[in-house]
Amino acid sequence: MSTVARKLLSIVLLVLVLAGIYALATQKHKQREDIRQATVKLTPGCAEKLSRYGLVRNERYRSPYVLQRTGTAVSLRGYSDEDVRAIQRGCNIIDDTQGKLARDPALERWNTTRFIRGSHASCDHCHQGIGDKQDAHGNPLKGSLSLGASWVMADMYDRFTGMLLPFELRQMQCFINSSNGYKPNIADDVLRDVTAYSRFLSAALALKIGKHYDEQGIDEIPASATPKQGDDYVRGEFLYKEKCQVCHGRQAFGLEANGQLVAPALAGPNAWNTQSRNYFYYVSTILPGFICRNMPLGAENTLSNQECRDIAYYISNLPRPAGDRQGPIIALQHQALMTFMPPLMRLMESPRKGGVAADPAPERDK
Amino acid sequence: MKSLAAFLKPPLGQHWPTLQSNMLVGLTLALVTLPQAVAFSVTLAGVPPHFGIYAAVWGVLFCTMLNPSRVFHGGPNTAMSATIGVTLLPTAPPFGAEYMGYALTLGLMAGLIQLTFYLIRPLGRMLDLISEPVINGMICGIGMFLIFRSLTTFGGLPLNTEVEWPLWIAWHSFLAVLEVGNLYAIEIGLITLITCVIVQQFDRLRNWAILLGIAAGTLYSQYLNARVGLQNTLVEQIGNLSSVGLVLPSLPLFNQESMPDIISIVPGAFTLALLGLFQTVAAMRRMTRKAGGFTDSRKAIFSDAVSNCLLPFLSSLPTCASFNRMWLVHKLGIHSRLAIVSSALWLLLLVLFFAKVIAIIPMPAMAAVIILLGANMLNWEDIKPHFKDRREAIVFMASFLSVLFLDLFGAVIVGSILAIGYSKWEQAHPNISVRGNVLKIRGNFYYGSLPLIESTYHRVLEREGSVTIDLSDCYYIDREGIRWLAAAKAGQKAAFADRRRQNRRELARAAAGKDKSASGKRRDRPDRRKRSEF
Repeated sequence: MSTVARKLLSIVLLVLVLAGIYALATQKHKQREDIRQATVKLTPGCAEKLSRYGLVRNERYRSPYVLQRTGTAVSLRGYSDEDVRAIQRGCNIIDDTQGKLARDPALERWNTTRFIRGSHASCDHCHQGIGDKQDAHGNPLKGSLSLGASWVMADMYDRFTGMLLPFELRQMQCFINSSNGYKPNIADDVLRDVTAYSRFLSAALALKIGKHYDEQGIDEIPASATPKQGDDYVRGEFLYKEKCQVCHGRQAFGLEANGQLVAPALAGPNAWNTQSRNYFYYVSTILPGFICRNMPLGAENTLSNQECRDIAYYISNLPRPAGDRQGPIIALQHQALMTFMPPLMRLMESPRKGGVAADPAPERDK
Repeated sequence: MKSLAAFLKPPLGQHWPTLQSNMLVGLTLALVTLPQAVAFSVTLAGVPPHFGIYAAVWGVLFCTMLNPSRVFHGGPNTAMSATIGVTLLPTAPPFGAEYMGYALTLGLMAGLIQLTFYLIRPLGRMLDLISEPVINGMICGIGMFLIFRSLTTFGGLPLNTEVEWPLWIAWHSFLAVLEVGNLYAIEIGLITLITCVIVQQFDRLRNWAILLGIAAGTLYSQYLNARVGLQNTLVEQIGNLSSVGLVLPSLPLFNQESMPDIISIVPGAFTLALLGLFQTVAAMRRMTRKAGGFTDSRKAIFSDAVSNCLLPFLSSLPTCASFNRMWLVHKLGIHSRLAIVSSALWLLLLVLFFAKVIAIIPMPAMAAVIILLGANMLNWEDIKPHFKDRREAIVFMASFLSVLFLDLFGAVIVGSILAIGYSKWEQAHPNISVRGNVLKIRGNFYYGSLPLIESTYHRVLEREGSVTIDLSDCYYIDREGIRWLAAAKAGQKAAFADRRRQNRRELARAAAGKDKSASGKRRDRPDRRKRSEF
């Protein structure tokens, strides 16, 4: 083949490849536009929450929650059809991140699972009550990671990165740390819809921009808030078995029944990674704070500060994935720990029970 | 003009035909460097465009003054700019005052590290031990890395503010470009890319490909702005450069508050320093081979180090040699420092008078340029020879993959260790052949290779009862080797042979006979070398 023909062929091939990429991008854009315009099928939790907060297309928005609690109707700017759909999609993502209730998770949840490693993590596990946890009287709960209260903090100083992080970047932190996954691009629809939902919550609850509320973030528990006994692995293990094991499984690998997730993993491949702020060795105040204010479900605020720190200490000693920035060698080490430690632990624990498999938890651990 | 050329000739030591041709080459270089300087600073390093422009002006001037090579062309560099971006993204938001301060601090630290390499001679000598497969592996890895890193800007998307493994970013960035990328930005990027590739096919226009590509992308962007409106296309542009003057003094950021961040970027400074020096030494080596002549690479290390210590005080990116631009100077047939100096001055003039034109260049076009440069770094002609030898292929692949799976700092460390390990492995494995009781050693006879030689020696000794060690092709013996040979001879079971000695005798005899017949006088024997005195 002559040089000219070869050059011509390479140009034609390149143009074809680039045209193919452009065609694919156009098709993907159209697909996303179709999803944006489509009616949203709400999860049962979202249907209940959004109807309670009176989300409808209107010129003005008056929150029934505010009216009920204060007796005064506050009129705010309303929502267009597009806004309503974005809020609905955002609510669905928080409630059912993995798309278990969706007909087509890739379409209805904007591929959120692509940004999550493992099959357990869902926003609702930490941001309970679909990001708006309340007691029986409708009072928001301290340290419950309310999304509405988080949104009104707007650009928040982050003491770990030393940066002012907008709400979207804080969501990215959740994806890379808590769900041990990847960051969506800041322009991704996942972040936009979750932001729309969080913003709606702040309007529904009449939260004010720039104000700090008790339900925002974690009620952190430092060592200074304990009787200074020191955090103890053995006490933590005992407490875990007494309070947590029934839901999260013997080795904290989570619990599934009939293909449905009962409780998420606190260790193992489906759990958060060692660069997460939930990891006790990285930040020792966040996980104890979460446990004290949000666990066990239905019996929140019953554990003492020291007990929460002990449980958090124990959980963080269980094998879990390495963070991406720790590099492939540490990742391999943690993978080996996750693969070999659980069977070894089971083996070691068996003789203590007199050789009797008294605990059926290993079979239930997934 | 001729008198001016004659005036300039002695101090610069030039050997060129006319001043005009130097100026023309300078203009060509300036036009080629300008888009690169802007693209590297904005797309890769995350700093305003004047950083790259000052690197192409002051960096080039400093390097040319300090380096006697007549083809050396410094200025902004892809890999170094990418290293700045990767190192600083976790510490501060790009384009902010703090970020720029850290960028200057990083450059200054890299310059000081490079100065250490110059002042401690053995340290500088270590750079010569980095073999070609390692450098090529790293260059290819960096090429891939540049492609991945430019994807988001190519699709008109913002960069995420922290870094993960480049490969994972690449895949997610690619999907993000497909799904949520700005289609106008993608169109501009594609037009730039296709224009560049087509122009590159014509040898005469090859060096103008980037410039023409950017021109095509900018024209299309202007067409879109006129048709749809900038508020609807939402395509980012470079922005106004009219504030760029002759010089913009700056100070690196050093204060107590920023110390934790500065400490965290020290590994990045090492990477930056080593990457710069690797490229400079490699480019100097290649260019001197291609262009003929010789320039000591220490002079290049000195010029890079001093320049990089000065540039942070002039709002500039660090500098290192650019093989592509050096090759362009060489191909244009000019071996003159004046041409290179004039390129810096031309560039400054271009920026001063055409700031408004540069301001409307769309960012996706810049990203397309970086993608093209990254793709050009993956040159099969450079890679192919490494796959002819298994060991070289392994070193190349390890170096290449370490850029993708570790990070640039990890790649520098892995590359350096591999290069030294590779040369040591080669030395420690001499070619040992056995024929009867003759043990022939081709290679080094030193403490590293001794265990291999010793095991073969004992095997032959056991089988044959005596051994003759043929040292004809042995080109280095260390003291431990001498002691072992002495011990073997003392055991009276080993004999030594050196055919070079025999050959030399024959040669000497022949020469002596010739001389005798010619003049009737006898000449002295040639000196024997120490290594054959066994």
